[in-house]
Amino acid sequence: MFAYIVRRILATIPVMAIVALFVFSLLYIAPGDPAAVIAGDQATPADVERIRASLGLDRPFVVRFGEWVFRIIQGDLGLSIFTNLPVTRMIAQRIEPTLSLMVVTLVLAITIAVPMGVVAAWKSGSLIDRMVMGFAVLGFSVPVFVVGYLLAYVFALELDWLPVQGYTPISNGLWPWFQNLILPAVALGGVYIALIARITRATMMEILQQDYIRTARAKGAGQTTILFLHALKNAAVPIVTIIGIGLAGLIGGAVVTESVFAIPGLGRLTVDAILRRDYPVIQGVILLFSFVYVLVNLLIDLSYTLFDPRIRY
Amino acid sequence: MSTTFPSGGAPAAAPVMPDVMPTRIARKGITGYIFRNPTIAIGGFLLLLLIFVAVFAPFLWTKDPTALAPAMRTRAPSERWWFGTDMLGRDVYSRVLYGTRVSLIVGFGVAFFASVIGLTIGLISGFVRWADSIIMRVMDGLMSIPSILLAIALMALTRGSVGNVILAITVAEIPRVSRLVRGVVLSLREQPYVEAAIASGTRTPVIIWRHILPNTLAPMIVQATYICASAMIAEAILSFIGAGTPPIIPSWGNIMAEGRALWQVKPYIVFFPAIFLSITVLAVNLVGDGLRDSLDPRLAKRV
Amino acid sequence: MERRSFLKATAAAAAFSATGGIAAPALAQGAAARTLRFVPQANLANFDPIWGTQYVVRNASLLVWDTLYGVDETITPRRQMVESEEVSADGLTWTFKLRPGLRFHDNTPVLAKDVVASLTRWAVRDPMGQMLRALQNELVAVDDNTFRWSLKAPYPKMLLALGKNNSPCAFIMPERIAKTDPFQQITEYVGSGPFRFVRDEWVPGAKAVFARFDGYVPREEKPSWLSGGKKVMVERVEWIVMPDPATAAAALQNGEVDWWESPIADLVPVLRRNRNIEVDIADPLGNVGSFRMNHLHAPFNDPRARRAILMALSQEDYMRSLVGDDQSLWKEMGGFFTPNTPLYTEAGGAIMKGPRNLDAAKKLLQEAGYDGRPITLVVAQDQPITKSFGDVSADLLKRLGMNVDFVATDWGTVGARRALKTPPSQGGWHIFHTWHAGADCVNPAPYTAMRANGDNAWFGWPNNPDIEAARDQWFAASDLAGEKAAVDKMNALAVDFGLYAPTGFFLSYQAWRKNITGVVKAPAPFFWGVSKT
Repeated sequence: MFAYIVRRILATIPVMAIVALFVFSLLYIAPGDPAAVIAGDQATPADVERIRASLGLDRPFVVRFGEWVFRIIQGDLGLSIFTNLPVTRMIAQRIEPTLSLMVVTLVLAITIAVPMGVVAAWKSGSLIDRMVMGFAVLGFSVPVFVVGYLLAYVFALELDWLPVQGYTPISNGLWPWFQNLILPAVALGGVYIALIARITRATMMEILQQDYIRTARAKGAGQTTILFLHALKNAAVPIVTIIGIGLAGLIGGAVVTESVFAIPGLGRLTVDAILRRDYPVIQGVILLFSFVYVLVNLLIDLSYTLFDPRIRY
Repeated sequence: MSTTFPSGGAPAAAPVMPDVMPTRIARKGITGYIFRNPTIAIGGFLLLLLIFVAVFAPFLWTKDPTALAPAMRTRAPSERWWFGTDMLGRDVYSRVLYGTRVSLIVGFGVAFFASVIGLTIGLISGFVRWADSIIMRVMDGLMSIPSILLAIALMALTRGSVGNVILAITVAEIPRVSRLVRGVVLSLREQPYVEAAIASGTRTPVIIWRHILPNTLAPMIVQATYICASAMIAEAILSFIGAGTPPIIPSWGNIMAEGRALWQVKPYIVFFPAIFLSITVLAVNLVGDGLRDSLDPRLAKRV
Repeated sequence: MERRSFLKATAAAAAFSATGGIAAPALAQGAAARTLRFVPQANLANFDPIWGTQYVVRNASLLVWDTLYGVDETITPRRQMVESEEVSADGLTWTFKLRPGLRFHDNTPVLAKDVVASLTRWAVRDPMGQMLRALQNELVAVDDNTFRWSLKAPYPKMLLALGKNNSPCAFIMPERIAKTDPFQQITEYVGSGPFRFVRDEWVPGAKAVFARFDGYVPREEKPSWLSGGKKVMVERVEWIVMPDPATAAAALQNGEVDWWESPIADLVPVLRRNRNIEVDIADPLGNVGSFRMNHLHAPFNDPRARRAILMALSQEDYMRSLVGDDQSLWKEMGGFFTPNTPLYTEAGGAIMKGPRNLDAAKKLLQEAGYDGRPITLVVAQDQPITKSFGDVSADLLKRLGMNVDFVATDWGTVGARRALKTPPSQGGWHIFHTWHAGADCVNPAPYTAMRANGDNAWFGWPNNPDIEAARDQWFAASDLAGEKAAVDKMNALAVDFGLYAPTGFFLSYQAWRKNITGVVKAPAPFFWGVSKT
């Protein structure tokens, strides 16, 4: 077990190294010029050239990559070209809204999707099942910004129940925090709910055919007990796996959701940085997202033993 | 499959399973196929309709989708402009119909290229031992970058064109296909008949052609439909953020991106392309679900 | 209606109980009244008004840094930090005395040496500053409150240079900050203006916060634009960046923000319907749209091709596409300078207005030898103004029988690409769009886009010594008549030369909640004199 954990952790190092090289070289060949953006509209070409030199953008690839990796290992992601603030600090400023949005979406999606999938599997073929499956397909088919605008229109502008936009830090109270996150989480959660509900249904259907479930039924166990205790526990591995894989989609969706609901999170930071060619920020954020993704999936791998005692490493 | 539950369970559960039975009535020919696979039939019909719209857009009472008429901007849907006009006075109906082309090209293009490239990489990875770990690490690395972010970053490198959109989304999708193919190859290699073929000295290309490809095809086709659907959404998102198809080409993402600021006052500019996009993605997903159920032997056995 | 208000009340009650009783919301109410929440036109990404010259940086800097002079609403420079000035009879030596009691936010007094260091840094980057530098004998602090600027030749526009609102403004910073290389960003944001910058709360891309500076002593005069008494009536100003105009409109309607700098014209009717919202023109000087051609490469290296564009381009199309049907918001321009200002002229500009003549334009293009090569049109999609211009231009060029190579990209890439002098087929460009604040086009001094000094000119690199001579004539002019004559000449020459093609003059709106008072029409949002109840 311990050896396996160590091996899994070591295996993430080359992955991160590849992400680092990829992210760095991707932006190295980018055509946009941050110096030109900084200089502003009234600047002359000579001004642009001088700013470029002062930012060190005119040095060779290997030199810049080497320096960059060395600094990252020391936990220094560099300074933003535009704000002159440390990238780590900019990320720190933005992490709470994104993390909150992710967590609320995740909790929401799981609490809705898993029972949905279980019921659909249990009543497989019924109207409920078809509705659940229909919703699941629909969830994949409607883009997140369309859902976002619809929700904002109905629940914020027409009904005036919830705020249209923005983010309230959790330190200002749980309710104000949550209030601001409901609409974005629902908009963002759609695809995720669909994904988890489908996988839950498929897995549960398979498991409900298994002998031990029949045995449990034969022994007279209650339907709820069978579904949620015996079956769901055994369905946990694929469900948890899909939650981990779906995380990448969630991060991507957050980029759009944050822009629709004006949430000052990492997604918006990334888009702004890419549109503005703020290299250090883009590199830092993509590295961070990849790291989180790798980390979460590592934890999920390791968690399999909890759900399924048959899995041993 | 079990048709009845033991009577010990909750009473509501018992009659559920047999309900699906009537769809199993055996029929021959196309009608039979449709009855057995209603999702494929519905999805396929919608998809054919959309392909028809895309191909024959110029003949479906459309105008030049790029012709400006600033004096006629933001007109509501009416007899003259079925879906209204946008802020440059262009006819939204014509733009939406022509937009079908972009979405379908991007969807099918990405599905095709991601499948072909992913298949190649997956085969190499499954057969060439020394390359496997390198390739898979690279794929893990790519996969750990959220695909939309990866596509945005790639689009920031190049100029907006339909080709580049396809390329950017394809790159983000390749790892999934290649992992799938590699998984199939590795499991097939363990099969006695493949082992026997290898042992008897059959050349690798022949093994691939005879044993591997036929077995990879089914899961790949299913995977390809999902890639097609998600590529269409990705195209819309890229265009929506302003990093996608060039705006002079009417695509649903572009129409929505241009109309987004006005969703409160002129909702129809966003509404019509959104409906079309959703229906198209829905159609592709339905086909995918249907194919999965009829092609995936493991799942097919049960229904 | 009934149901909605009931639901509102329920929601409010829920919020109420969640925040724990009566005291908390009451407190929040008080703090809210003292905090002005403002949605700026763009994100404040960097904060050095000399190093980065975007309008949004200038606007934020006006809160934090003060200037020696400030223009009033007639664009006349008035004393601001300066108490008195003296100019020698030959016009060569300027001696300035600072107003007593000026303090920086770190509570140190503003001294002449701070001013000298600030002006030295500014003069490297500012077009007028560069002219002053070229004429400069010395710029020295005489004592703590007095500094002297002596020149080799007279510079009658001295006070305008020090008080203009065009970016970069001559902001005064402490000497230690002003010593920063003009091509490096400053890292400390200390000024002597009416607001302090709350750096800890700055989230670039999302939020910037300014707090009232209690040590600021406003002048006695009535405030007028950058001049007069800058009295602050709120405790905090929060800038909340919203990339999506639809979201900003909704937030203003819901009362989540107080003031929106740049609502798009199409949303104005919705805002007007809301009884709690006031909508008015933001900046009476408006904006001048630009269709910028590259003078280095065919076909636009031929004045006839450029004139063809001036002839064919329908400003009405551009303007309607951008601001909509409201005709009070835009104007066709018969020249290059800001309409409704003293120097505006239509001298020689007849071809820019009136019915468009596509056939004549096509003929001119042919004479210029246009051979059907693709025209590279580089358009930033992330700016609503350039995006809309680009779509109209693609249509125009198509109708002129030109092949368009439409390069859709973002503002950052346009910024990089327009600086390339290489042929369009090798990464260069033929046309890009931008817009100039009307305040930058009121006269030739801040109007960098009207320079025609070849390689040193603004992107597109027009080269025409006659236009430059007319410009020098304006700088030398000492009265309005002389200035007018010079600008008339410059305008006519520029039309004939096809220096660039204005796409029209347009105004934009600003909108605010009715509990805000004191919002003025100006080239930048001014936060002094604005109060909130």
